[in-house]
Amino acid sequence: MMLSMIFSLLMWGVIIFAVARSVTRGFGKNASWLRREVPLWEEKNIISKEQGDALLTLYKLKRAAAGKRMDMVKVLTLVGAIFVGLGVIFFVGSNWQRIPALMRTSMLLAVTLGALYAGYVYSFEKEGYFNLGKSLLLLASLFWGGTIALIGQIYNIPTSENWYIILLWAFPIVPLAVFYKNDYAHILASVLFVIWNFLYSGSNGAANYYYPLIVLLCMLPTAQDLVVSRRINIIGLVAASFYCCFNKYEWLSLMISVGLLACYLFRKQERAYLYSACLSFIFWNIAYFTVREGRPNLYFLLPVGYMFYLTYKDNIEKNLVLCLAGLIVGINLALSSFSYLFYYQFNGIQFIVLQSFLGLAVYSAGIVSRRRGYLFPVTYKISGYLVTFICVYLLAFKALLDEGGEASNSVYLFGSLALGAAIVLFMLDEIKSGNIKSRPDRIEFTAMAAALGGSLVLLMAPQAILLNTIVMNAVLVVFALCNIFLGVELKRPRIFTLGIVIFVLFIITRYIDVTWKLKEKSLFFIAGGLFILFLGTYLEKQRKKIIERMKAE
Amino acid sequence: MNKKLIFFVVSFLWLAVAAGLISSKQHIIRTGKTVLLETVPVDPRDFLRGDYVVLRYKISTLDLSTTLSEKSYYERGRKVYVKIEPGEKFWEATAIYLKKPVNEAGVYIKASVQACYQKKLALKYGIESYFVPEGEGKDIEAHMRGSKSSVAVEVLIDTSGNALIKKVLTP
Repeated sequence: MMLSMIFSLLMWGVIIFAVARSVTRGFGKNASWLRREVPLWEEKNIISKEQGDALLTLYKLKRAAAGKRMDMVKVLTLVGAIFVGLGVIFFVGSNWQRIPALMRTSMLLAVTLGALYAGYVYSFEKEGYFNLGKSLLLLASLFWGGTIALIGQIYNIPTSENWYIILLWAFPIVPLAVFYKNDYAHILASVLFVIWNFLYSGSNGAANYYYPLIVLLCMLPTAQDLVVSRRINIIGLVAASFYCCFNKYEWLSLMISVGLLACYLFRKQERAYLYSACLSFIFWNIAYFTVREGRPNLYFLLPVGYMFYLTYKDNIEKNLVLCLAGLIVGINLALSSFSYLFYYQFNGIQFIVLQSFLGLAVYSAGIVSRRRGYLFPVTYKISGYLVTFICVYLLAFKALLDEGGEASNSVYLFGSLALGAAIVLFMLDEIKSGNIKSRPDRIEFTAMAAALGGSLVLLMAPQAILLNTIVMNAVLVVFALCNIFLGVELKRPRIFTLGIVIFVLFIITRYIDVTWKLKEKSLFFIAGGLFILFLGTYLEKQRKKIIERMKAE
Repeated sequence: MNKKLIFFVVSFLWLAVAAGLISSKQHIIRTGKTVLLETVPVDPRDFLRGDYVVLRYKISTLDLSTTLSEKSYYERGRKVYVKIEPGEKFWEATAIYLKKPVNEAGVYIKASVQACYQKKLALKYGIESYFVPEGEGKDIEAHMRGSKSSVAVEVLIDTSGNALIKKVLTP
């Protein structure tokens, strides 16, 4: 039922698209009108060819290819033929058993091969109907899927293993995608292979090593000029790698990661290869951890190091975020492995504190990068800031501190202390070296010191819940104030606004935190709403005033 | 490459795949042995989907404490061979093997492990669905309701253990 619905929708989509492309060519919209008019103006010497090109470029239009319009008789004939084809498929689909199986099979194959032939003829034999031919080839590919599914139905061939049918659908349309350079068929085959991969693994409970081989050796090399198809295949590979995390397929995710990295090295213009390789290596590390919980994955240092190298060498700023995420995940998984080895239980508070320190370390890397003129200082700072801020925000909840962790995890505790000590040493060294001269530098260091100090108090006295709640809320306020002052100092409205946002977030969260326990919820909402309205209006007015002043200066 | 040649190659490929799919059934019909399997009631919510009925057999769940088995636990997805022997009316599962015994006579049906829990082994034989002409599914469904199913299934099994539904029998 589901399959037939999908087929129906897909086929209707193709029919409407094919007919619309054929009929509307040259009609209607301004873009199409301009595409037709420009060559005419050029021909009559009203404008030059260069001016024509400039006009088309302005509206992002391609020069109209010499094409033919279909007359209505042809359109009707085509629609009629498609309807007959669909009718045959639905007729056979109703499993009318009085017609012999062989006859029904022949009808299906005749319709499918007929659509294929029509697609071939309109694409390559008749000039000017290439797009129509292309759509017909897609229609033939869809008919082929219907044919395979219905043959399974007619002969009652076991189709409970649906992956088998999907594979038999996808593979035979690959030649159309590759040799006829039909991007629709390429996209369809790519999507089918993605579906097949998950159905295969789900049915067999086994890793599907064939999928990355098919994609890496066939689908991606033939999708060099097909952006959509290429991206579908890349997403498919990353999704397959992600799936490995939950199924202990560590070798499969490693294979996908290496494959994507190789693709990037062969074709550096496509940066998505590098991003996806980076993500896939992270998934590999997670899958490795699920298989060998007690063995830290030191091999992960190799790909993550190489990813950092490529990020700097090829100057790909966005990938730095993924590299940093990989590094943080890697450190956490390694510490979790050591915790497992020494029988330590998970402690939520210590876990969050460590992330906060990792964020500070990343922020420090941004400070060093800026001072020494290295690449990407801002990315380091934003990434580090976000990580630390989220951790501080979470740690400011009393409920979390109450239930955070009973048994101390020495691996995380000493890991955090070591990292905290390193950050303290770095900060002292910066101060001693006289690098902290300007006011913005001092504001930055104040925020860092507050986060560091607050987290250290939390680590050393986890049982003092009330004290820790007050300290972490104070840190949050310091964060907000530092942003506001830094924004004013640097005359950067965004940093200033961020400070206001943090402040508002702090007020609202604490309001909900404290008053949600009240039995009277109507009072909670009315009072809260009024409070937020007044506070928001006041702060917004102040914010606008200051930003206007910044701009005026 | 010659576009016309590609058209012929693709057409041939499609025909070959379709023929291969059909011949895989013909092979089982030619060489298979017919056995009669007992079905068990299926949760009515997922019994009839569109134009095919969902079947579940008595041999779909085996008790590892009473069935001869090479292992006491099987991981999901593992392929196994179940030896079936004729019982009073239906064929019954008597042993589970990881590989099909070469020198032993008997009928073996190929299965994949779906789950293994508390000495119970849930298996899938690839004959769990059967297409029916529109409207006929309700009739079969009526016979599979209640605590005991009165539907039997004639299944063909070839020498490699591949199974195929020959007929669904209702009283």
